[in-house]
Amino acid sequence: MATQLRLTAVCAPSDDVVAREIEGEIIIVPLASGIGDADDELFTLNETGKAIWQLLDGKRTLQDVSRELSAEFEFPAGEIERDVLGLVEELLKRRILVEVSGT
Amino acid sequence: MKSQGLNPSLFVRKGGELPLSGSALLELLRAVLDKGKPFRFRAKGSSMSPFVKDGDIITVSHLSGLSPRLGDVVAYVCAETGTLVVHRVVGRMGNCFLIWGDNAEGRDPVPEANVLGRVTRVERNGKDVSLCLGPERFLIAFLRRRELSWKTAHLLWRIMRPMYHWIQGLA
Repeated sequence: MATQLRLTAVCAPSDDVVAREIEGEIIIVPLASGIGDADDELFTLNETGKAIWQLLDGKRTLQDVSRELSAEFEFPAGEIERDVLGLVEELLKRRILVEVSGT
Repeated sequence: MKSQGLNPSLFVRKGGELPLSGSALLELLRAVLDKGKPFRFRAKGSSMSPFVKDGDIITVSHLSGLSPRLGDVVAYVCAETGTLVVHRVVGRMGNCFLIWGDNAEGRDPVPEANVLGRVTRVERNGKDVSLCLGPERFLIAFLRRRELSWKTAHLLWRIMRPMYHWIQGLA
């Protein structure tokens, strides 16, 4: 059974991807097969996805990330936490992120 | 019920379909090649026509420690403009490669350090296109160096190809 992602988790970009902010957009290029559904897929994030990505530095917990975004976007922390967990789960599933600690 | 939060989303894009400017493309290409992996992107321009046409998807691979060979098609940084260029190696001059577009005027002497990678695949309308990287690449490079067009090189290769295959069959 998959371990449930907790807000105490610390995540960072995987070594299996190259990510760059180019012309205001985060572009993620998989370097290993199996990350995308096809070998030639790239990934991009919307504005709020980008805001989350930029805080996933392998140091902040997901709770820290949520708190910072809650202050920045003036949204209730509970909703932000749900959004952060949702995106991070998807990125972990695709091996774009790795969990550094905190499960 | 729709979330009232940030709604962060991850989008999947097909490689080569991302419209990137020259400097952005160069930055991404460098980052991927530095990790030893190939990178696909959409070619712009007609300087390598007919082998690479505007809109083709090209794959550039790391040189893996092997210097580009005569006739190879390579991606390099133009020393004058700092932009990414994909052209063919037509010769060598000291520590520089002479690199020329199959359908362009002017040869760039390119320092070896500016050559980023080798073009290993070209796709057009979903199908692979031959870059003429077999023995014919010597002929194309030789004729281009003498300022003859790719058309002449291609015609000569078409004439010589049956003979080449016949000799290969004997070996």
